[in-house]
Amino acid sequence: MPFPYQCIQARNSGEREAAGWTLFGACGSRLVVQSSGGSNFVWPSGKNNVSEEKETEDDTQERPEKRIKLSHPPEIKSNFCCLSLSNDKQHIVAATAEDKCIRVFKIEPDCRLSELSQRCMPRRPCAIAITSDDSTILCADKFGDVYALPLFPSLEEERSSTPNSGHNEATTEKPYVPAASMLTVHSGRNRKVLEDQMKQANLGKKKTKEPMQFKHELLLGHVSMLTDIAYTTIDAGVEGGKPRSFILTADRDEHIRISRGPSQAYIIEGFCQGHEEFISRLCLTGSGLLVSGGGDDYIYVWDWLNSRLIEKLCIRDTVIQFARTNPELAASLLADEASFKIAVSGIWSVPHDQPKVRSSTDIVYMRLSNHLQGDEILVACEGIPGLFRFGIGGTPGGSAVGEAISLDGNALGVVFVCPTTGACTAVVSVDNLHKPGSTTEVREQEGPFRLQYFSYQGDHWEADTVVGGKLNWFSSRALADTASVANGQDAGSDMTVETEKARRAADEKAVRDILYGIANLRKRPGTED
Amino acid sequence: MPGEAGKRLKREAYKKSINNEDQNTSLPQKRFYRQRAHANPFSDHTLAYPKSPVDMNWATHYPAYSVAQEKEAENAADDESHDQDQTSIKAITKNVEIADIGCGFGGLLFALAPKLPDTLILGMEIRTSVTEYVQEKIRAMRAQNSSSAYSYQNVACLRANTMKFLPNFFSKAQLSKIFLCFPDPHFKQRKHKARIVSYTLNSEYAYVMRPGGIVYTITDVEDLHKWMVDHFEKHPSFERVGEEEQEADECVKVMRTETEEGKKVERNKGLKFVACFRRCENPPWR
Repeated sequence: MPFPYQCIQARNSGEREAAGWTLFGACGSRLVVQSSGGSNFVWPSGKNNVSEEKETEDDTQERPEKRIKLSHPPEIKSNFCCLSLSNDKQHIVAATAEDKCIRVFKIEPDCRLSELSQRCMPRRPCAIAITSDDSTILCADKFGDVYALPLFPSLEEERSSTPNSGHNEATTEKPYVPAASMLTVHSGRNRKVLEDQMKQANLGKKKTKEPMQFKHELLLGHVSMLTDIAYTTIDAGVEGGKPRSFILTADRDEHIRISRGPSQAYIIEGFCQGHEEFISRLCLTGSGLLVSGGGDDYIYVWDWLNSRLIEKLCIRDTVIQFARTNPELAASLLADEASFKIAVSGIWSVPHDQPKVRSSTDIVYMRLSNHLQGDEILVACEGIPGLFRFGIGGTPGGSAVGEAISLDGNALGVVFVCPTTGACTAVVSVDNLHKPGSTTEVREQEGPFRLQYFSYQGDHWEADTVVGGKLNWFSSRALADTASVANGQDAGSDMTVETEKARRAADEKAVRDILYGIANLRKRPGTED
Repeated sequence: MPGEAGKRLKREAYKKSINNEDQNTSLPQKRFYRQRAHANPFSDHTLAYPKSPVDMNWATHYPAYSVAQEKEAENAADDESHDQDQTSIKAITKNVEIADIGCGFGGLLFALAPKLPDTLILGMEIRTSVTEYVQEKIRAMRAQNSSSAYSYQNVACLRANTMKFLPNFFSKAQLSKIFLCFPDPHFKQRKHKARIVSYTLNSEYAYVMRPGGIVYTITDVEDLHKWMVDHFEKHPSFERVGEEEQEADECVKVMRTETEEGKKVERNKGLKFVACFRRCENPPWR
């Protein structure tokens, strides 16, 4: 059975092949690639995955009833959580959640991905961005830090010797001296603890966390979980000035921070303040506005350079209106309408007009001319089978709240491909496993397709069959036979009904954990000190 | 724990009694406000904080500096449109300029405030009871001195997790001094990110400080002192203040002798390590 794609990415290759595109999807711990030319690829390919081999060895030795236990908790597969394409579109950077690893792949002409590097971070990556010159990966992590890593690690295996890395510094070998002394402790109990510490110190050195063995630099940090990161470059606005780069970071404590680019990231230029709940997504539009969303009822639109809120768009009303049009959805989502909460899981800027010339450097030059036309964004919310259109900052009347695009399953991701020059099709990843409108209830029969397609018609989106026809393999067949996300075993090996059931439950749990984590960012009242 | 419950009852009775007496001018008693000396800066405390500095109601903390009444009423009406007229909503006639982060029982605040009577000083403390004590003491001090020339109107205290929410209270370049006195040393390596000083957090201090402003640090833990010096010195927005200038600074003297911890260390014959750092101008764009 095919599992949904938690992340998708697309590249539109301009000049060389006219109107060619390639789609990348992350399905659990695997990557799937297909091009408009028809070639396809799955990573990791074949049976060379070390952890899988180990697993099968274990299986032969263990008795069957023990295998059930083995199959879920101890077996942790690393699932992809972020996919990012380099600006030259030759490389894809992918981060996995459980093993905190950042992998860089080269995209070969025949769609194969060859893994160039694998770097494990100290904390789980939450979002990645690539600088516009393709030199640096910016990795925002769960503990609030942003690290800069070169896209291509230098060959010499240099030990981390970065002046700016704030913690995890390798301590030099010294006899252990506790930081506290008899002079700094004031209570009897603390004194006793100190004595214990001294005793413990003589027993042997504690093992400390292994420092990162590759070049990295700590750029900035929040005291909060980071949820998204964006990088952009704009004109300096002064004669002969170099373009200025910025790092935008969002956290769970309602902050959007605007810092200077990697070489001066220690300077905070401003904050975009106004959110009252966690922020989960940042999106820079074609005309250079920032759109942010999260647990609030509103999507916020910012003139981020001046820390100024331009407008708030009520996503909650739009979603409720949409749910009302579908009786089933209304019954499940709006049973208790007052407590219905929004968790924005994606915001995408629609590439209007000339998607081919759109790269991060071009945005600089298009900024002013585009501003009057306005932008269009698509918004997805966790567990909602629809996408919501908003026009932003165009006409003096402000933003238009467009229609909802109904989907066959909860929206998971959107990318835009250009089947012909000037055309634009949104490829949407949908959840074929859970019931539309639910993040917990599983369908009786999972849906056969994991993608839907809509072509842009200027004022509305229409179901697209051309791109859909080409992506049939990607949407329905890829990885359909390699069943299990939870343990990566082949289906069809003999199993009892019970193990099958247990495995199924573990699979569903695993998929749920991958797909739906955003609502969990909400703070729970009453979790007191 | 039976002792725990008894303690709580006594505290409640005490707090009720001070609330009953209107215009109570007696100082609060510290023993009813003691609290464990550690708080986890990463956890989601039930905190009250403004969305942005513009949304902060400073007038309740500095009533003597509040702007005219009718203007306040006007502000209450257009609560939503905070980008229209930023200054009118601030509601006090001057901005807070000095922050004592982790002010504890407020020793430094009460010593410093009379020396800088025209500067607004804010104590920020993460522990609820300790904050209440300082607020109670400010109220009493103001009442006691209501007829004298100086009546502690320039000092206030609020509960905050500054590690997360400092930019919610202060705007860019607002502060001229920040005090970090005897912060929690967080001895364990694993807990170092919880320290009040770190390379990454120093960027936020730099953001709320004006160029030329000074961060004052003092601790009795040499290890932490070295840590703080190390992290401020490697941050390009700060430079260490020289020994001579440091010792000539009145604030350093007050910090050494007037903080509660400072006095405790004195009694214990412990050592005190002081370091000050000046906020530099931002360099041109690179």
